[in-house]
Amino acid sequence: MSAAFDTRNDGVALTSTGEARDFFALLKPRVMSLVIVTALAGMATAPGSVHPVIALASLLAIAVGAGASGCLNMWYDADIDVLMTRTAKRPIPAGRVLPSEALAFGLTLSIGAVLVLGLVANVLSAAMLAFTIFFYAVVYSMWLKRWTPQNIVIGGAAGAFPPMIGEAVVTGDLGMHSLVLFAIIFLWTPPHFWALALVKSADYARAGIPMMPNVAGPAATRRQIVLYSLVMAPVAVLPALMGFGGLAYLVVSVTTGLAMIALAIRVWLITEGEAATKACYSLFGFSILYLFALFAVLLVENGLGLMWALPKVMG
Amino acid sequence: MSESRRKLPAPAAFSPEDMARRKRRNIALALVLAGLVVFFFVVTLVKTGPAIMNRPL
Repeated sequence: MSAAFDTRNDGVALTSTGEARDFFALLKPRVMSLVIVTALAGMATAPGSVHPVIALASLLAIAVGAGASGCLNMWYDADIDVLMTRTAKRPIPAGRVLPSEALAFGLTLSIGAVLVLGLVANVLSAAMLAFTIFFYAVVYSMWLKRWTPQNIVIGGAAGAFPPMIGEAVVTGDLGMHSLVLFAIIFLWTPPHFWALALVKSADYARAGIPMMPNVAGPAATRRQIVLYSLVMAPVAVLPALMGFGGLAYLVVSVTTGLAMIALAIRVWLITEGEAATKACYSLFGFSILYLFALFAVLLVENGLGLMWALPKVMG
Repeated sequence: MSESRRKLPAPAAFSPEDMARRKRRNIALALVLAGLVVFFFVVTLVKTGPAIMNRPL
């Protein structure tokens, strides 16, 4: 139901009566939860330690910063969100929150989150958070998304930064551990997103977004999904080989990595009808579980000290 | 009052349901602000450490 708006005499809306949950929805809570897990894993795997309260406060700032960038993305994309079934119910296109409110909300939270992280942790992590927000809201949303089919490939970097910010919170520096975690998320993004884009290509076509299936075609996209999965799965095993993932991580990363490859191959082979849609949704759904599982195991092993250590092979 | 004073816009009519929604939003905002007060207090204690008590009054 659309909310009533406070209006000026000329009928221009000033404030909505959107509820707190509408503003919370602007922060993309599901993306935020992934950011929390990955940033926390970045902190846990970093060589060093940080006071739990500082870690928690930093994590809050990182999560709010990520949410703020999601809010700015929704503000900018409201014109195309209204055209797509997947996004038409978002608070701005549904009329529950005004664009101006979302912009003010996103900017305020962005500035606040960066300042808090700078004060609580250090300048490097705050600068990285600021860059992440800029990258997602400006480079991805305003530039790449409507311009190139490589939009989510390059834009995926924004989602891959949180582990690096997490490590920067602990060490004040950047190291190989978080770089590997960055690579895992970066390589995970294309198969994850394109599985959905294959199903929703009509939506993207209506909105004029040059997603890979719309530009290069479904066959080429399916091929690239397999290729990215083949590169991603071995990279995801690296933490075990570099000594910051234990036996549990090795087992989980290998088995779920093989499952990702198998599901990607299924998407590649099954191209027609309901079965093809189902294959895409299976890959999309499993890919979320996959990333959560990898980072959750790293978190348990490193954060709770429950690691059955393996001999360090590299790094 | 001057005749030339700019006429203020008429307040928009809100239904009781709209007002209830707005009230819930304001309560949520108040809770967030209260949470921030606690957040900054605790973080300040941790950042400053026990030395926070060791200062001339």
